[in-house]
Amino acid sequence: MIRIAAVGDVHVDKDVVGRYRPALEELPDQADALLIAGDLTRHGTVEEAECFATEFGGLAVPVVVVLGNHDHQSDQQEGLTKVLTDAGITVLEGDATVLELNGHRLGIAGTKGFGGGFNGACASNFGEREMKDFVGTSERYAAALRAALRSVEECDALVALTHYAPVPETLAGEPPEIFAFLGCYQLGQAIDEAPTTLALHGHAHHGSERGRTPGGVPVRNVAHPVIKQAYNVYQLLTDTVDTRDTALANA
Amino acid sequence: MTKQIDLEADIQRLLAEHDRIAEQGVTVHQRENVLILGGEVESAQRRDEICRQIAARYPDLEIACDIGITRTQAPAEVEEIS
Ligand SMILES: [Fe+2]
Ligand SMILES: [Fe+2]
Repeated sequence: MIRIAAVGDVHVDKDVVGRYRPALEELPDQADALLIAGDLTRHGTVEEAECFATEFGGLAVPVVVVLGNHDHQSDQQEGLTKVLTDAGITVLEGDATVLELNGHRLGIAGTKGFGGGFNGACASNFGEREMKDFVGTSERYAAALRAALRSVEECDALVALTHYAPVPETLAGEPPEIFAFLGCYQLGQAIDEAPTTLALHGHAHHGSERGRTPGGVPVRNVAHPVIKQAYNVYQLLTDTVDTRDTALANA
Repeated sequence: MTKQIDLEADIQRLLAEHDRIAEQGVTVHQRENVLILGGEVESAQRRDEICRQIAARYPDLEIACDIGITRTQAPAEVEEIS
């Protein structure tokens, strides 16, 4: 059994430091890892990244994140990523990591993702340069997720971590007119083309918690205003035997 | 007076693009002369700043602020994924 804690859209700045900490101190009793689905900061500045690292760094469980659109606002993704990495946080963008937890291998593939829309209401890679750039960006991020998911060789569970949504179901509650800015179906396709166990995303603050990809992969919107608590906990591999001994787990 | 539909767009852009706000998760409804703000943000300072900025931009409108602060307690339940 593996338990993963997840949240997105924490939008940390000075005024948030300390708010999550009491719940985070309980994390080791609740979960084996913490995944954060982007919008870590308000404006994507290095100073805000330092606040995020203060709040979400130095935990007793591994922390794996992707960036969100807010984390791109100041064009400082590199500096921001360095601050997080220096704090021991794993930042994924078009790549994957494998965590050894309780004798199980948990693969996590991540990307920010992008908008573009869903079946029946999506943008096409056609026409003006600006439109092709927009849809080309959706496709580039989806291809990055596809490659990241496929790069995980051996694992017992595989999680797709994005900021933008891979399905429209978890956007229910948002105005349908803006769905195309909240996610794209290409992310869902990438998730379905791999043996994905669970897909986590954020970004849709007024969306809903649960959905599934067309291929049947469970999707959870973990945006903080949606889950209304410090993090949610998901249990994977329920019927498996754990190896608590780290030496055995790594054998 | 700004048309109602443009007013909401104008406020949404103010909230997203204003340097000290950067919020995309606030809802705006107008009922007669009252502007009702909803949604949740991460701190009381942010909620207050939103109300301050909107009041400064639209001094003729009365503002009802129903914006909440998202709770940060640890969860009591685990969801099994299958
Ligand atoms: Fe967000
Ligand atoms: Fe976002």
